[in-house]
Amino acid sequence: MAMRWIIHVDLDAFFASVEELLDPTLKGKPVIVGGDPSGRGVVASCSYAARAYGVHSAMPMGQAIRLCPQGIIVHGHYRMYGHYSEQVMDILKQVTPLVEQVSIDEAFLDVTGCEKLWGPIEHIAHMIQERVNSEVNLPVSLGVAACKIVAKIACDYGKPHGLVIVPPGEEASFLAPLAIERLWGVGKVTGAHLRSLGITTIGKLADYPTLALERLLGSQAEPLQQLARGIDVSQVTTERERRSVSKEVTFSEDVRDYGRLARTLLSMSEQVASSMRAHALVGRTVRIKLRYPDFSTITRQAILENPTDQEQVVYQEALRLLKAQWKAGDAVRLLGVGMSNLLEQGGYQLNLFEHSDIRRSRLNDTLDAIRARWGDDAIQRASLLDYNARKGK
Amino acid sequence: MRISCMQESLARGLATVSRAVATHSSLPILSNVLLASDKGRLKLSATNLELGINCWIGAQVEQDGQITVPARILADLVNSLPPERVDLQLVVRTNTLNLKCGRLEANIKGLDAQEFPLIIIPDDEKPLLLKAGMLAQMIDQVAFAAAQDDNRPVLTGVLADLSADTLTFAAADGYRLSVRKEPVEGVAWQSSVVIPAKALQELRRLSADADAPVSMLISRNRNQVFFHLDEIDLVSQLVEGSFPDYNAIVPTSYNTKTTLLTADLLSAIRMAYPFARDASNMVRLQIVPGGAEAVGKVVITASSPDHGDIVSELEATIEGTPVEIAFNARYLIDILSVVNTPQVTLTTRDPSSPGVFRPDNGPALEHVVMPMHIGR
Repeated sequence: MAMRWIIHVDLDAFFASVEELLDPTLKGKPVIVGGDPSGRGVVASCSYAARAYGVHSAMPMGQAIRLCPQGIIVHGHYRMYGHYSEQVMDILKQVTPLVEQVSIDEAFLDVTGCEKLWGPIEHIAHMIQERVNSEVNLPVSLGVAACKIVAKIACDYGKPHGLVIVPPGEEASFLAPLAIERLWGVGKVTGAHLRSLGITTIGKLADYPTLALERLLGSQAEPLQQLARGIDVSQVTTERERRSVSKEVTFSEDVRDYGRLARTLLSMSEQVASSMRAHALVGRTVRIKLRYPDFSTITRQAILENPTDQEQVVYQEALRLLKAQWKAGDAVRLLGVGMSNLLEQGGYQLNLFEHSDIRRSRLNDTLDAIRARWGDDAIQRASLLDYNARKGK
Repeated sequence: MRISCMQESLARGLATVSRAVATHSSLPILSNVLLASDKGRLKLSATNLELGINCWIGAQVEQDGQITVPARILADLVNSLPPERVDLQLVVRTNTLNLKCGRLEANIKGLDAQEFPLIIIPDDEKPLLLKAGMLAQMIDQVAFAAAQDDNRPVLTGVLADLSADTLTFAAADGYRLSVRKEPVEGVAWQSSVVIPAKALQELRRLSADADAPVSMLISRNRNQVFFHLDEIDLVSQLVEGSFPDYNAIVPTSYNTKTTLLTADLLSAIRMAYPFARDASNMVRLQIVPGGAEAVGKVVITASSPDHGDIVSELEATIEGTPVEIAFNARYLIDILSVVNTPQVTLTTRDPSSPGVFRPDNGPALEHVVMPMHIGR
């Protein structure tokens, strides 16, 4: 493969930074964005001032408060996060169309060949950082390398306000001293396994005999070792090639009420379908995810006869999957719904006998248009009125 | 039973009844084929209780009798025999079929023929007489549109509607409908039944000579249909349930009528298909009427997110307003493959109403196909 330049862009403490932007008095203070500490909310994001106390995202709120009693808890202006994220992504897309948005605050850019347009790679990276800082007023870190994994790790390495460029050929030596957990695909379990073998750094993993590693990790061993050597051929895939659209929610307390589960599913189906329509995607596979209080998690999926981008169809199938799995009285901690098997330039076959699908499609398009103009709450399903009101609180 | 026949005719007869042999039945005898002497000929018979086939072959009957043996074993053996005389003999004491051909001898363990379900065509009513070739054409033009899955069982069948002077075949899955009408004479009874599409396709396979007569009969209790061809009977259970009112589905008006060369359109859709496959099989037809000078044109496009796109343009005679409409390429290929006139017309109302394909100056054939919703 020819030489590539990949940039990983990651907004620093994104939610907390937006909160500081919305309320400048928070600046420099330990801001913790997350759920209610009395329930079992988790930290969605926290400012670097809070991180100094050992708080990190995904930590239970109760624990965060104990570590950082003076922390300022903010419940999160989630709609604003989306708004700022879009502004940042717009800037990135002005640099190159090859932008893969990984999450609300992270993206990969393939800027191979962009030097002719924007100047040397250092200049491109500085330009992006400078524009995000000045136009959106948000701190951002960048990692630049010839492949995604190294760009991502370089970005993490430089945080916050970082800009780390790993020149081609120096990937392995850059990665070598870093802790093994920094590598993609090394979670708690794998990390502990590797450490038990004395593999504490990425460099040690790269040098470990492959055969011995295979005994521990099986078929994972070789790809993981490739990554450890800074070899990653995966491409930057643009949003149009998204492979799934999903939505999930962790309840503030375990839910045993069927009605509430069904309404949650309906609300999420609306969001999934609307997102698919916005991206001109249709999908054939409907998937639900259920997590029980003991953290056991199951997913179930079904393939539709015809692709769809209609919430009614998604919801109907998701509900059928839920009914097949959920038994009266089961407590549910997390519920999710998603669509995969996506096709772009969406077309789906209309039905000969049921003309309701055309009317339904027109209805959904109209709802999209109303919400785009007047906001998400401008028009709602009556069955979700209570649900949305509670959610908004 | 002592019967002799030629290997070729026995092999052909076994092939004829083979599709009716049950494959996974709880009744072992349904995996067998019945061999019976019948008025100086050998009758072969198989049934899976849904579909039954009788077939008679020329033979020399020295002693009457009957036996059933596993169809698969007998057919595999007979297909491998040299094209010579085959002698069949029933060993009554052991219920075994003894088969001799040249220097080969085989004994196949059988089951008593008394246990085998009889396939009898009633002769008390006057059958409808049809030409095999015409019937085959009607089946070809309609049966493909029947549903493949069992979501709505009635749609796995073909509606056969016999009125005073017309036989109508209609089939539909949820997305398309094909209707073929043919004038008939000498109708003694009227009836509207749903025949499994698979049974008709089997009948289609069996009818060789286009001019040969085929007679058709519905049982008095309206649960079976019988077809009799020269030396072959086919009986099928009918599909229960009422077929949707297809007349209500065929659009009565249109905004655009497009006439194209059938072969050119088929070829353009076939070329677009490899690209359409990645995008729910969608091909777009942009229909642009001509002016006073220019002829109209149809622009056919398909595009694959991964593999590229294709555009082709056909001249067409177009009356009415311009329209862009998308269809499943597979459906169009099915339809255009059975339109046997040089020109075909497509009438459309709007991008989300059904389009209708008809042969231009051909038999009374209509293919109604729902378009695909064009994404933004």
